[in-house]
Amino acid sequence: MPVLSANSRRELEIHRFPVLVYALVPLTAVVLQAWLPRVLGRFAWFDLPLLIIVYFALGRPSPIQGTVMGFVLGIFQDALTQHAIGINGIAKTLVGFLASSFGVRIDVENHTIRVLLVLFFSLLSSTLYVSVYRVLLGLSLDWNWLDELLKAAGNSILALALFPLLDRFRIRD
Amino acid sequence: MEPFFVRYRNLLVLLALLAVQVVGLAVQVHRADSGRMSLDPRDSGGVRLIRLWASAFVSPPERLIHSSGLDLLDLWQNYIDLRHVRQQNQDLQKTVDRLRLEQAALLEDARQGQRLQALLHFQETYLYKTLPAQVIGSSGTTQSRVLYIDKGTVDGLQHDMAVITPDGIVGKVRDAFSHASQILVINDQTSGAGVILETTRIRGILRGNAQGQPQIVGIIADNRIQPGERVLTAGGDQIFPRGLPVGVVDKVVRDPQRDGFINVIVKPYAQLDRLDEVLVITSTEPRFSPDQQQDMAMSQALKGAEVQQEEAQKKASAIMAERLPGLIDPNLPPDQQPLHDSTPPVPVAHPPQPLRPDRFTPGTAPDLQNSQPGAPAQSAQTPQRNP
Repeated sequence: MPVLSANSRRELEIHRFPVLVYALVPLTAVVLQAWLPRVLGRFAWFDLPLLIIVYFALGRPSPIQGTVMGFVLGIFQDALTQHAIGINGIAKTLVGFLASSFGVRIDVENHTIRVLLVLFFSLLSSTLYVSVYRVLLGLSLDWNWLDELLKAAGNSILALALFPLLDRFRIRD
Repeated sequence: MEPFFVRYRNLLVLLALLAVQVVGLAVQVHRADSGRMSLDPRDSGGVRLIRLWASAFVSPPERLIHSSGLDLLDLWQNYIDLRHVRQQNQDLQKTVDRLRLEQAALLEDARQGQRLQALLHFQETYLYKTLPAQVIGSSGTTQSRVLYIDKGTVDGLQHDMAVITPDGIVGKVRDAFSHASQILVINDQTSGAGVILETTRIRGILRGNAQGQPQIVGIIADNRIQPGERVLTAGGDQIFPRGLPVGVVDKVVRDPQRDGFINVIVKPYAQLDRLDEVLVITSTEPRFSPDQQQDMAMSQALKGAEVQQEEAQKKASAIMAERLPGLIDPNLPPDQQPLHDSTPPVPVAHPPQPLRPDRFTPGTAPDLQNSQPGAPAQSAQTPQRNP
């Protein structure tokens, strides 16, 4: 696995995007995440906002940016549910922070690494979600790990197509 | 040396955002009377504002997608067909493809027309006042079975209104915004609807499980509950009117948390995963069709004839009571009323003496106080038997 040391972080390429991409892509992800399950029914095994958070956090290794994007999209997702606002927010905030921290140290251009990272962050997000719900809030929630595993796999497969597509919007120096 | 806030700014931003959210969560959750933690059923002002902003942000694009008739499947088919046409470069194939697309579009329109026609027919014949609405979005997560429809408070929707389809119930309005509403579907874990099994008349509460299946919880194990039994709304939850179809019993499983209790998995009549049009019950005041109104008028008229007959009987009884002597005579002063008559009553006339007394004649019974066991009976009192 091509892991770089902390001293060589300057050698990593920092992805830059037009401001419009930063605004429209997350919004599109949230809208599609709300609309596609209506079309696909119970086969909607993906989390587009999570993919967007991971992509931007890995590509531009600024922990603050990843944290804020995770916070905003997580709160947005919570607002569309009937659950308390902040459950997804905490999970996605931590995922954004960790993904940015990983992006500093790992070569995220490799597709295999990207897929594995998405798989890991998907499961981490689900674990954080259920932990906040059950442990922090003390609420009862039935949980089906098979669904979360399928969702993580779906996210990984989708990342294979989505990340190269988003790479096209990158500003080349 | 770097200042503390600059050196640890990443961590400080993370901690600040986490702290804000933890405090926000603490505000939204409270301890119930039973000692368990629960979410407030009604959002506070700030939380509702966030939901309103999110809905206002997401609903217009969803509405646009829905109104433009874009469908993922149609886009895919159109794309494939277009490539096929370009490759073959034949006008005839283009025409055929165009006709196919038109046919598919017409078929889709026809199907939608049939669905809307069925919905309209149901709405016309349904007893309560309903409002049709289009489903435009969802929560996007499997942990929250929530839908968004394109009608809101402007259209008269309010909190806790029942949402149904002609097939069965769907859920209830959890929150109504100005031009959109959030629907809590019956297969969500936080939903609850009072239901009753049609045959066994067993009542229970319907809510969703982790797999998104509606289930009736908290039922004592009962062998009479069999798959295929119809489930109806019980009407006790003040949301769903009584008797609406919910689904059929799919299977019965043991409650993993309580011994002796079962959970009844219900297969809903309404396709909760693929909803396009729904009806919101806006008023539970009965709305009768002209035929029903005519039947009720006839029933009222028949009931009126019976009432008139009873009144006539009462009147006849009063007349008879006036004509017959009674304890109260309206023509006499109060002190001379028969009820206050103080004169001694007429002595009771004794029956005449029998010509031939026998042992049944009063006064001929032997004196039991002076009689002795074994003494012979008095012959004078022995009846003479005729030959």
